[in-house]
Amino acid sequence: MSIVLDVRDVWKSYGELQVLKGVTFSVGEKEVKVVFGPSGSGKSTLLRCINMLDPPDKGEVLLKGQSLMEDGVNLTMMRARIGMVFQQFNLFSHLKALDNVTIGPQRVLGLEREEAVDRAHVAIEQVQMTDWIDHYPAQLSGGQQQRIGIARALAMDPDVVLFDEPTSALDPELIGEVLQVMLDIAQAGTTMIVVTHEMGFARAVANEMLFIDDGIIVETGTPKHFFTAPENERVRQFLHRLEVLYGGQESVEQ
Amino acid sequence: MVGSGDMHNLMPLQYGIVSYIDELAQAFLVTLELYFVGLVLGFIMGLTFAIMRQFGGRVLSRIATGYIEVIRGTPLITQVLLVYAIPVAINAAGIADLPLNWYFYYIDSQNRIAVTLNWPILASMLGLGINSAAYQAEYMRGGFASITSGQLRAASSIGMTRWQSIRYIILPQGLRRSIPAWSNEAAYLPKYTVVAIWVGVMEILNMSKTVIARTFLSVEMYLILAIIFFVFITAINKVLEITHSRTKIPGV
Amino acid sequence: MQERDLPSLLVFIITAGLPATLLLSVVGLGMGFLIGVALALIRVYAEEDISLLAQAYENLFRGVPVLVLMLLFLVSTGWPAFFSAGLALGLRSGAYQSQIVRGAILSVSESQMIAAYSIGMNRMQTARHIVLPQAFRLALPGWSNEYAVVTKDTAWAGAIGVLDMVKASDYLVFEDPVLFLPAILAITLIYFVLTYPITRYAGEVMSKRLRSLGLGGDY
Ligand SMILES: Nc1ncnc2c1ncn2[C@@H]1O[C@H](COP(=O)(O)OP(=O)(O)O)[C@@H](O)[C@H]1O
Ligand SMILES: [Mg+2]
Repeated sequence: MSIVLDVRDVWKSYGELQVLKGVTFSVGEKEVKVVFGPSGSGKSTLLRCINMLDPPDKGEVLLKGQSLMEDGVNLTMMRARIGMVFQQFNLFSHLKALDNVTIGPQRVLGLEREEAVDRAHVAIEQVQMTDWIDHYPAQLSGGQQQRIGIARALAMDPDVVLFDEPTSALDPELIGEVLQVMLDIAQAGTTMIVVTHEMGFARAVANEMLFIDDGIIVETGTPKHFFTAPENERVRQFLHRLEVLYGGQESVEQ
Repeated sequence: MVGSGDMHNLMPLQYGIVSYIDELAQAFLVTLELYFVGLVLGFIMGLTFAIMRQFGGRVLSRIATGYIEVIRGTPLITQVLLVYAIPVAINAAGIADLPLNWYFYYIDSQNRIAVTLNWPILASMLGLGINSAAYQAEYMRGGFASITSGQLRAASSIGMTRWQSIRYIILPQGLRRSIPAWSNEAAYLPKYTVVAIWVGVMEILNMSKTVIARTFLSVEMYLILAIIFFVFITAINKVLEITHSRTKIPGV
Repeated sequence: MQERDLPSLLVFIITAGLPATLLLSVVGLGMGFLIGVALALIRVYAEEDISLLAQAYENLFRGVPVLVLMLLFLVSTGWPAFFSAGLALGLRSGAYQSQIVRGAILSVSESQMIAAYSIGMNRMQTARHIVLPQAFRLALPGWSNEYAVVTKDTAWAGAIGVLDMVKASDYLVFEDPVLFLPAILAITLIYFVLTYPITRYAGEVMSKRLRSLGLGGDY
């Protein structure tokens, strides 16, 4: 299995605050990595460091062997190969759903309009939003907006897609439709890094889970490992709290 | 538009703008008068219209809205000309004989008459006030509207009447909140005092023209005038900024 | 200008004065638009010191009466009054439109810019395809307001000799105030008809529509 993304000893601080303290992991082709951990532990910062929206202070990020931190790399073209899905969807409010998806292929990849539209239709089909392509973001529910957000990332045909708590801004009854889409694209072979606390999703598709706390990866393992025998006390406490919050049916089995 | 006032004839013929500094200073006092009276008048009328519009019920609120929209939709110049010309026309038509030829003055250091108030000045003040009131009312209304209806309900829950809640809850907060927007108007109005030149008031612009007629230094004079206004308005902005930072409510 | 009965005076006001009013308004707004957009882009995107220059321009033109600007241009350029008036209105409107456009640019949510960067857009593309299209819509209510301001302020041009509507009748203030009153009332009404429908439409209908598109929550 070839390595798609290699994150090596990434450090990041904001002023005095040291947020990431040496994070290392890699993602292979068609792998799904689930990142979880307490709020403020640096998960979003890690994702922003990976696609250089916020360049790391130190360390290395390689996409298919090519460093993103070397001088002279075309950052925007590299970013085009790393998709990102946001907690708050961040759709472009002046564009209809279809154009939210075509704008990247058209403006960044330089495709003709028809080609971009074809591509967008495929991506929109994948997230089951075909009936809604003429709607503006404000006319869509949160779940629908997030599915368009996912289609926007997929239409770029990225090497890897980063998800930053894609369901945590949604009303409970809308979470399911988004998770279903994420399951579908994971099973279709999309390489993904997903920050989420949806343990059912993790159990279903994660090749590996990473528990991050206070800027470092504390424990890694398969879902089975985490749900049966987590080693670290902090992990156990955290999973227990999730269970209390969200109900037990899909988290810890002691 | 008339360009001449009493001073025009009395002014000695001299070259160089500096020699007219007393006259310019006197005229600037008239500009200041126009500004402050216009602003205060606009504040009183504006507050009245803002309260009418926000709390006045259907009829009063319609009247206030109509006033605000008509004034904001028409030029200050025609408003001032109208205020000035209405009593003049009444007299000319023989309907009444309104007293329009009075004036207040003081004698300046060179023993000349300096007019401080007459009908053209008063008409300009009224025009500026009528105009500014519409803008001030809108800014104040924005401040009133931003106060949550929860606070009004809380006021009636402790037995306040409608007027009491306006007086003690809405006004103190709303006026404070409208200070930033209101400051715009306060810094806007000085520029518009030059409107008085249309009815012959000897304010700073009119005096500048008189000085130019004497010295032929038109570019220099207008540049100085531009600088005077710029400094005046910058100073007003500074004062307002300081006032605003001192009247903030903690946590608002 | 010897019209001494109301009908022919009104005809004179409309045929001789109104075109100047409209033309000055178009010139002032158009020139102000170009200057305003350029200044706003400079203030948001350019280096600190260039941005400070743009800010100085704004403060300068907002701090001087438009009539003084007109007079200054008239005596210093030697151009016809109409051009001096148009120049003054345009340069000053540029200062105000810059603020309108800049406010609109800054109110486009930053999260959408981050999303644009995340699909590989550069700063230019993000500005061109994401920020500015939204900013131009968000600026519409402010622009309608500026349209009214410029249109009303064309009336100052009469004071430097441009034959606009007010100038076409103001000699009567002292000569024939009884005839002047209905004339100036008619002029006031014409200004109202020119400005009110547009500010009303853009101010209310437009901002409602913008809000329904999730644009401009603050307007
Ligand atoms: N742009 C920023 N500037 C300053 N501090 C930041 C910034 N982004 C994040 N932080 C801080 O970094 C820490 C980690 O934030 P984040 O990565 O968002 O955590 P998580 O996503 O795990 O909740 C928090 O303490 C947060 O306040
Ligand atoms: Mg986060």
